Amino acid sequence: MEEWSKEQIDVTTIVSALLLSLIGVVSVYSATYDAGASVIFYRQLLWVALGIVGMLIVMLTPFRSLQLLSYVFYGLSIIALIGVLVAGKMVAGSKSWFGVRGLGLQPSEFAKAATVLALAAFLSGRHINVNRLKDISIAVALVLVPVILILLEPDLGTTVIFFGILLLVMYWAGASNFLLLTVLAPTAAAIASLFGTTPFALVVLFSLVTLLILRENRFVSSIVFSLTVLVGVSVQFIFGKLAPHQQKRILTFMNPDADPLGAGYNVLQSKIAIGSGGLFGKGYLRGTQTQLNFIPAQWTDFIYCVPSEEFGFVGAFIILFLLTVLLYRGVQIAGMVKSRYASLVAIGVVASFALHTIINIGMSMGMVPVIGVPLPFISYGGSNLITNMLMIGLLLNMYANRKEY
Amino acid sequence: MAEQFEVPIRQKIFIAGIAVMFILFLGRLVQLQILYQDVYGKKSEENSIRPVAQEPIRGYIFDRNGKLIVDNRPSYSLTITPAEFHVKTVDYLASLLKLDPQFILDRVRNGQRYNRFAPVRIKRDIDFATLSALEENRDRLPGVDYQIETNRFYPRKARTAHLLGYTKEISEHQLEEMSQEYRLGDDIGATGLEAAYERALRGSRGFEFVTVNAKGQIVRAYNEGKNDVPVKEGDDLYLALDIDLQAYAESLLDGKHGAIVAIDPEDGGVLALASKPDYDPSLLSGFTPASAWNALNTDDGKPLFNRATLTRYPPGSTFKMVLATAALQEGIITTSWRVNCTGGFRFGNKIFKDLHMHGSTNVVEAIQRSCNVFFYQLMLKTGLERWNFYGRQFGFGSPTGIDILEEDPGLLPSEEYFDQVYGKGRWTQGFLVSLGIGQGEVGVSPLQMACYAMAIGNRGKFHTPHVVRSIYEKETGRILITPIQTRTLDVSGEVWDIVRDGLYRCVNVAGGTGFAAKVPGVIVAGKTGTAENPHGKAHAWFIGYAPAEHPKIAICVLVENAGFGGAVSAPIAGLCIEKYLYGNLIRYNKTQQTMAMKSDNH
Repeated sequence: MEEWSKEQIDVTTIVSALLLSLIGVVSVYSATYDAGASVIFYRQLLWVALGIVGMLIVMLTPFRSLQLLSYVFYGLSIIALIGVLVAGKMVAGSKSWFGVRGLGLQPSEFAKAATVLALAAFLSGRHINVNRLKDISIAVALVLVPVILILLEPDLGTTVIFFGILLLVMYWAGASNFLLLTVLAPTAAAIASLFGTTPFALVVLFSLVTLLILRENRFVSSIVFSLTVLVGVSVQFIFGKLAPHQQKRILTFMNPDADPLGAGYNVLQSKIAIGSGGLFGKGYLRGTQTQLNFIPAQWTDFIYCVPSEEFGFVGAFIILFLLTVLLYRGVQIAGMVKSRYASLVAIGVVASFALHTIINIGMSMGMVPVIGVPLPFISYGGSNLITNMLMIGLLLNMYANRKEY
Repeated sequence: MAEQFEVPIRQKIFIAGIAVMFILFLGRLVQLQILYQDVYGKKSEENSIRPVAQEPIRGYIFDRNGKLIVDNRPSYSLTITPAEFHVKTVDYLASLLKLDPQFILDRVRNGQRYNRFAPVRIKRDIDFATLSALEENRDRLPGVDYQIETNRFYPRKARTAHLLGYTKEISEHQLEEMSQEYRLGDDIGATGLEAAYERALRGSRGFEFVTVNAKGQIVRAYNEGKNDVPVKEGDDLYLALDIDLQAYAESLLDGKHGAIVAIDPEDGGVLALASKPDYDPSLLSGFTPASAWNALNTDDGKPLFNRATLTRYPPGSTFKMVLATAALQEGIITTSWRVNCTGGFRFGNKIFKDLHMHGSTNVVEAIQRSCNVFFYQLMLKTGLERWNFYGRQFGFGSPTGIDILEEDPGLLPSEEYFDQVYGKGRWTQGFLVSLGIGQGEVGVSPLQMACYAMAIGNRGKFHTPHVVRSIYEKETGRILITPIQTRTLDVSGEVWDIVRDGLYRCVNVAGGTGFAAKVPGVIVAGKTGTAENPHGKAHAWFIGYAPAEHPKIAICVLVENAGFGGAVSAPIAGLCIEKYLYGNLIRYNKTQQTMAMKSDNH
């Protein structure tokens, strides 16, 4: 085993990840203080410990073997996803948990890391052209397989994350802006139209402006634009034709946490929690919103409310700041590594963290529709936390080997 | 990195994206937490919404004539709201309630783990004296309150314990599985109809959303009550049961171990289902002291055990019709096939006994007089697989599908079964001989036997037995009628004529073993059984139906370790039939019954 020198260890990444995990543990303790779920708190501690071990293992794995094993990890995660479908244990109406000694493992989380590795391995191939249809199709297929397996279980959040990662990684790999828009615009239009006419109009407007700026072939541009409008309108039209209970099913699919008080309740309570925290917060374990259990899923999807209420702006800012530092550092690492594979892995990790952060914090503050995804390092959940730590391990590994290969 | 990937530019775009995210979120945080802190702070102080639960009333249960058999009665439960409770008052409270202070503290702590603001039930069924003492000292006991709840109440003499079942406080394990609808301290059906129809009977809890201030005091209804979820009362069950017959059947089994099942042959409705020893269901309604539980659980008579559906008894001679039907339907014998009964049957080096020398006997007489030798020989002639095939058609070896959860499939051996237990080729024809008379490795429940009687009485029409006839849905006002499931046995009319003739003669013609089941003015058909068992006296069986031509009731009576079926069970069956068909007993003459019981028929 070779010696590790100081300059092979990226202190910024390690420190941010560990601080975030610490804040997570503290927040989970508060969020479950009342519910008597001290079990949840101790489990979270266990996940952090396991995560750190996993992170070190990934960091110390020889770079070459990591690259060679990318497809193996991917294959294993696909098998695990199939395993869930076959033998999965029903948890909260969704089949995505493996009952491992009552703790529950979620292969779809691990699949995120494995898909990042597989995408990077594929796109770093010698003769790959990310603007060629054949290679695009293979990249899409790599993401589509786990997504379809996950889609067989109702989970919109994971689906959005996977395609987000694909887009960002493809873009980093050199996909043209126009290509990005061709994919993004109709998809965004379809989703936006389900949330209402105004978001849909905004998406249409945005894509029109971007198309004008890009000045690609006019004929192709107008096809893309028409496609965007058509997809959006038809989705809205089909939705309008559905029976109310079917509409409700779709809306519930998009927002599994919808509660009997109506869709706005979660967000309202979450905003009250954050806003009432003020500058310095109400004090640890003294947040009325948190301790009175006004916020549904407050130790998973709405965890951001907890430190924001109890530690106020200071707490909320520290979390946002640490996450931003982590993302920034990740992009830096992706830019400094020599190997194209390493660069793509790093950007895949950044993409995953960024998408989770944007959706989760945005949702908590009422800026993004409610889609259930966890906040990296903070939310309760073993599979997610361990996957994030493994991804940190990947970043550290790429950094350590930045001058090699 | 190679230049073709435009990394420097794209890197800048990514970093710009991250910066935009950071600035947008930071701006939103400033807006929410600093600029509008006072607005949200005030909202969190006063606009706190709390749901107040509205408890549903558990559904009532009525018998076939609309008589109320399971009622609800209000009871008072003492509760403590952990957030408001003062621990130093615990000793005083404990003395009022005559409870251990530590018990109270444990319950409070336990409830606190779920929600500090939700009242925890400390003691159920508090009496009026305690209640008034509590009222007087209310301001000395902050956080202590009482809730009005309902307990099951049984207004009838009949216990019907095993069929109705009981409710029990939900266990933590169940709570984890069903946390959506249940809370700590809720009752949930544990056995019988209470468990099988839990969903319908329970209804669902309603919620009134109220606005509370930071101290948890209710300020006003939230959003003018527009978000309230109305309580849904539990649905009522209307049973096929005849509660008067049930009470009478239970009284006939008093002091005995056994079971009676009576079925309406027209639709498979369960008219009565009694199992003794039993328990008083009101003991298990509301608060049940641990001592009462222990007493029930350790009682040698196993009063909690449903003998009517969960047992596997050898059926004895009552099972002979399975073999007779198989042999006749398969054309192996006709009524002209005769066996000369010499009071015993030698097979290999073993002698299978009979109680009498019946002489030359055909199938009808063999049923009438319960001749064993005839059936020993017929079993060898018919074979295990055919016997098993018809046994299965009569519903043996599998659950009947009755709408309570406690049911044993019983045991109906096949070649496969013997191969499995003894190994291929390691069992002999000798194993079969006793099966012909319902002895040996065959196990049935009284419920299965009542269904068997129904099938014979109906000339092959087999209805799945059911207890609940209809459910009255409170929310919609609809009445959901239990569909009648019917199948028909693959047996010809001539065969039924022959077998049913045997059952008719068994009760009505001299030499029959079921004389004691006779009822004045009604023709009863049936068959006795005396199932030997290694652990004591034989089990006494009787199955039958009446009126013989178009039966209105099919019945099975089993008395454990009581001796001859004809002497013990047949008269009980007769009395039940009489009670059901006449609505009352027309025979008041005790000696008449005693006479029947003393006859040497079996």
